[in-house]
Amino acid sequence: MKKCEITLTVNGEQLTTMVAANQTLLEVLRENLGMTETKYGCGTGECGACTVLLDGTKPILSCLTLAAAMDGRHITTAAGLARDGQLHPVQQAFVDESGIQCGFCTPGMVMKTVGILARTPNPSDEEIRHGLEGNICRCTGYAKIVSSVKRAAELMADQSAAE
Amino acid sequence: MTAYSTIGKSIPKIDVKEKVTGRALYAADLKMPGMLYGKIVRCLDHAHARVLKLDLSVAAKMPGVVKVLGPDDIKAHSYNTGVLDLMVPEPVGKMLGDIEDQTVFTKHVKHQGDAICGIIAHSEEAAERAAEKVIVEYEPLPVYLTAEESMQPDAVQFTSLKPGNRAFQLPGEMFPNNAYGWGNVDEAMAAADFVVEDTFYVPKQKQCQMEPHAYIALFDDGGRLQCWTSTQMPKCVHIKLARMFDLPMSRVTVTQTVIGGGFGARLGMIGEPLACAMAMAVPGRPVKVLYTREEDWIASESRHPGKYWMKIGFSKDGAPVAVDALFRSYKGGYYTQGSGVAFTTGSWLGGMYKWGSCRYHGETYYTNHAPCGAYRGYGNPQTNFVMEQLVERACSKLGVDPVEWRKKWHKGVGDDGWCPGVTYPSCALDECLDRGAAAIGWTEKRAKYANQTGVKRRGVGVSVMNHTSGAFPMLLEHTTCTARLNEDATAEIMLACSDMGQGAHTALQQIAAEALGFRFEDIHIKAGDSDSNGFDIGAHASRTIYVGGAAVKSACEDARKELFARAAQYLECTVEQLTMRDKIIYLEGASNRSISAQEICARGVYNFVDAASGQRTGIPGQIQGYSSFLPTSNSPPFAACFAEVEIDTETGELTLIELVNAHDVGKAIHPASVEGNLEGGAQQGMGFALTEEIYYDKNGLCLNNSFTDYKMLGPSDMPKLTTILVENPDPLGPFGAKSAGEAGIVAPIGAVANAVFHALGIQIIEAPITAEKILEAIKKNGGV
Amino acid sequence: MSSRVLPDFELLMPKDLGEGLQLLSRHGSDVAIMAGGTDVLVMMKANYRSPYVMSLAGIGGLDHLDWAPETGLRVGALTTVDQIEQSGAVKQHYRALWQAATLFATPQIRNSATVIGNLLRASPAGDCSCAVLALGGTVVLESVDGRREVAIDDFWLDYNLTARRPDEIAVELRLPPPGKGTGSAFRRLTRTHEDLAKLNASARLDVDGKICRTARLAMGCVGPTTQRLPKCEAILVGKAIDEALLKTLDDVIQSEIAPIDDKRSTAEYRRAVAGVLLRRTISQALAD
Ligand SMILES: Cc1cc2nc3c(=O)[nH]c(=O)nc-3n(C[C@H](O)[C@H](O)[C@H](O)COP(=O)(O)OP(=O)(O)OC[C@H]3O[C@@H](n4cnc5c(N)ncnc54)[C@H](O)[C@@H]3O)c2cc1C
Ligand code: FES
Ligand code: FES
Repeated sequence: MKKCEITLTVNGEQLTTMVAANQTLLEVLRENLGMTETKYGCGTGECGACTVLLDGTKPILSCLTLAAAMDGRHITTAAGLARDGQLHPVQQAFVDESGIQCGFCTPGMVMKTVGILARTPNPSDEEIRHGLEGNICRCTGYAKIVSSVKRAAELMADQSAAE
Repeated sequence: MTAYSTIGKSIPKIDVKEKVTGRALYAADLKMPGMLYGKIVRCLDHAHARVLKLDLSVAAKMPGVVKVLGPDDIKAHSYNTGVLDLMVPEPVGKMLGDIEDQTVFTKHVKHQGDAICGIIAHSEEAAERAAEKVIVEYEPLPVYLTAEESMQPDAVQFTSLKPGNRAFQLPGEMFPNNAYGWGNVDEAMAAADFVVEDTFYVPKQKQCQMEPHAYIALFDDGGRLQCWTSTQMPKCVHIKLARMFDLPMSRVTVTQTVIGGGFGARLGMIGEPLACAMAMAVPGRPVKVLYTREEDWIASESRHPGKYWMKIGFSKDGAPVAVDALFRSYKGGYYTQGSGVAFTTGSWLGGMYKWGSCRYHGETYYTNHAPCGAYRGYGNPQTNFVMEQLVERACSKLGVDPVEWRKKWHKGVGDDGWCPGVTYPSCALDECLDRGAAAIGWTEKRAKYANQTGVKRRGVGVSVMNHTSGAFPMLLEHTTCTARLNEDATAEIMLACSDMGQGAHTALQQIAAEALGFRFEDIHIKAGDSDSNGFDIGAHASRTIYVGGAAVKSACEDARKELFARAAQYLECTVEQLTMRDKIIYLEGASNRSISAQEICARGVYNFVDAASGQRTGIPGQIQGYSSFLPTSNSPPFAACFAEVEIDTETGELTLIELVNAHDVGKAIHPASVEGNLEGGAQQGMGFALTEEIYYDKNGLCLNNSFTDYKMLGPSDMPKLTTILVENPDPLGPFGAKSAGEAGIVAPIGAVANAVFHALGIQIIEAPITAEKILEAIKKNGGV
Repeated sequence: MSSRVLPDFELLMPKDLGEGLQLLSRHGSDVAIMAGGTDVLVMMKANYRSPYVMSLAGIGGLDHLDWAPETGLRVGALTTVDQIEQSGAVKQHYRALWQAATLFATPQIRNSATVIGNLLRASPAGDCSCAVLALGGTVVLESVDGRREVAIDDFWLDYNLTARRPDEIAVELRLPPPGKGTGSAFRRLTRTHEDLAKLNASARLDVDGKICRTARLAMGCVGPTTQRLPKCEAILVGKAIDEALLKTLDDVIQSEIAPIDDKRSTAEYRRAVAGVLLRRTISQALAD
């Protein structure tokens, strides 16, 4: 098959689009669907700027995923975490802890943090750092990103306590 | 200390929400109606060659192709992606030998990745497919990968303008005997009690900003050339593009998009000339050019690598009586910032210690690498690696504590800085050294690690640095700012200073709020639009807060002065009697008499004629403060850095344990941003010392043009980081601020190298200090 | 140069194994099989071309990870490195593979990359490959003509070349159950934490009392394929392993390896540390 129609649920919305066999999920999100919050940093799996969540909590690289193989799957992007202008606790944590400089790695970092916390709600420093491998940041030296993840863990705990 | 309303507070930065949702628009995120895609075809198989034949005919017929362009299809002047020519008077530029040796497409390939031709097509994919069909025949030329090779008399000349392939050396007209310095080095060296000397190698490090380069260009129906780019110098690109394409500046617009990191990579131009040349060929159609990550390595600038020889003479009491140095760097294929780095590398040396005499030679030779340009620190990392290791060697010979030696011999207030004759207005380096040493446990650890046995060895090292806050008086320093007060007493601050992620716009907004006496939220920064922004030399030399901030302060003070003058008129008093609280201006002592800033601003704008009296109802005119600011000072920051490492002596592997970075920042306008910059700088500095280098095979083809093989320190490689902001407000900087943008990268380099020395008793003189080099050095040493 | 856009290809998306095998028997060597795609797609963005790409993603029942004391471990063709890392059974019984999985790549890559893909990539730097070679076991290959099992020792023929025929899909990896005194370990040397190995090593030792009964030692990045170290193994077998014995491996290993200079390290360095890495891996396996 050279082209096919696929249906993706992106950030809760069902979207149907025609994709070429050789299109990556990253290209489809950015070019076909205009969701440019997912970034191209290297295209070869090293930088993590293109990270999206599969089924809500599983970080994958959209630059190394064929869109055609994603028919029927649920994808979350950074823009989809925020609801009605209200930041997701993980996003709020990056704001609170100044974990954002140029911002190019940020959407991927946020996706990754959701993934880390889904598995390890209360991660140690070492677990955070190990979990952040594969998301390159050239601005922050990771210090404030690690504290953002810690802060995110607290905010998520507060939120689930409140629920 | 002065109580400020917003300065010194780490309020959420103005762009965090759009960045954390991913909605901030970087150049690659923009899409325009009718947009075409441009692909640059680059020479990949040769680092030095002549193009014998270029056949675009097959490519031109590929589906989706709109136009193919070779070197002969381009109508543009040659150019220099660097900007130093704009920063010095023309005669000085001539003396320095700045040249324009770049063309959009070339027939003489000078490095792998040089641009041969371009394809414009309806989609990225169509452009890529057509690019594969371009037929080029090359005549390979000898490949020169070191200065020593390209300086040979029979070497192929890179340009007729630079005989012998020497792109630059310090010109004799400005620097007697082509050297920067003072005193009689030969005599002092001869009289020295002992000398330390070595030839070091410093690596070709890549900025690796996370956003790959991307551009959109459009030659619109109005005959204007528009370019969307993430350059960190929008106004310099503005004039450079105008000159290149013979257009008046009023016919060129540069729109700066959100910048995904700079670190020097975006200092000047990169792909703008190519994107614009393609757009000129298809008037009315926007052309988008997206670089791959690989193109970043092979077709954009990096740090200058090369051999760095240094010799320091000391007297018995430890006085550094003479320093003599030569940095001979490998320029790459084009001139770009040829003069800049070759000079500043020595200036940081001169500015650091109380050298009795100093002589520095800087020169750079063309080589067949991707060109070298600006990278954070601009020569300072190279000098730190060399100077600080030699100082360490001397301290160990002298048997003195390296911290104490540095405290005694570093330059400080009143001494000449990097530019002889311009003295340091402030220096808190002693406090940096003291606090840093205490934080890492210097004294205890130096003693503890003195006599180790076993496989794993620890060491702690120290290094110091000085940098700059803008380039005064060497280069043009100029930022223009307009502070326009809206009728509701909010303000629009218009200037062309760049925020590359360092947080500059937030800090400038804080400065504006403070200077106007308005709330932070009352201010909006309008930047990155060459049509509405006045001149700014661009983000380089760590100048944005020191110079740009001073421009904002000055423009805001100008607006505030007018506001107060009008208040005085309304309240029938003198300006001196007035104070402002919460944007209400009170006549002191008679607090029942006041007028709000909002009323003054509104009456200036909605200045009606009263029907009854026929008179105007208030003082007319929208208030606008203005500053075309040319600083008359420079307040360099200092820093002391301490590193602890652990080395596995069986494998040579090095683990970073801790890094303490104490910085003399003057006053931190936005402390979290300052810390963030210093922490990010530390990651890059430790990378310079340990892992980062672009390397090439013998044919000049890059071997590691990807993150797979160009290794940066990741989250798990980073040590415990402690950042200490030593705040000792500078008398001249805006609100006491000095620079903090580049500085963080520098001192970690020497600190890590010196920690290795402490752990092993061996110095590694070639950066990066890899496990391979450590193990080899241990072997050569006969063990440790 | 790598491209931002993948080359043109026809995508095959079989719904079950039978269909996949049929497609392979028809198109054979024109097909690039794709499991996680973390190698295939990266190679395609560089210069690898294939008229067909066959994604295994739509085939059900290939992501199993089954452990039983009698039969050992069965790893499906779509079982990811992350599944290995998360598995208590693997952690307990196949420590080398588990350690390889935890050190492997990045969380995102682990979520997609398969163990079998690592074996099929036939790179001498493959981390799971190195652990699997030490652990022993077989790769199950299936074609329309049926199934066959190839011992891991015979699986890699050369750099990027395996015993798989173009019409076969690797459907499963089988690892034998560990014995009572079996311990295993994996270690690697890298430039930074996240990296491909400049040298990796794995050991499986069956120890009876203090005496080593069998030893399987594997090393990567010292030749065109990940390889066993038979001479070093012979030194260990039948002896109590102590520091002095281990030290003798430093010399013996030199005749078993042929490392080269490449972008990650030098031949000289690899030779200098091969013995060190091996000793440490063995000690770690003994402690397992
Ligand atoms: C950023 C990054 C980091 C990496 N780090 C590491 C690392 O640390 N260690 C390491 O070892 N590797 C690493 N890799 C390489 C890669 O992730 C692994 O080799 C991975 O295990 C491949 O699995 P996959 O499922 O993605 O394979 P694919 O890419 O799908 O396939 C790999 C090869 O196997 C073939 N193949 C796959 N499945 C089958 C099958 N069932 N039958 C027949 N043939 C098949 C394919 O045709 C292809 O030749 C890294 C890769 C990236 C991009
Ligand atoms: S863009 Fe996908 S990992 Fe870099
Ligand atoms: S904030 Fe710039 S790369 Fe992370």
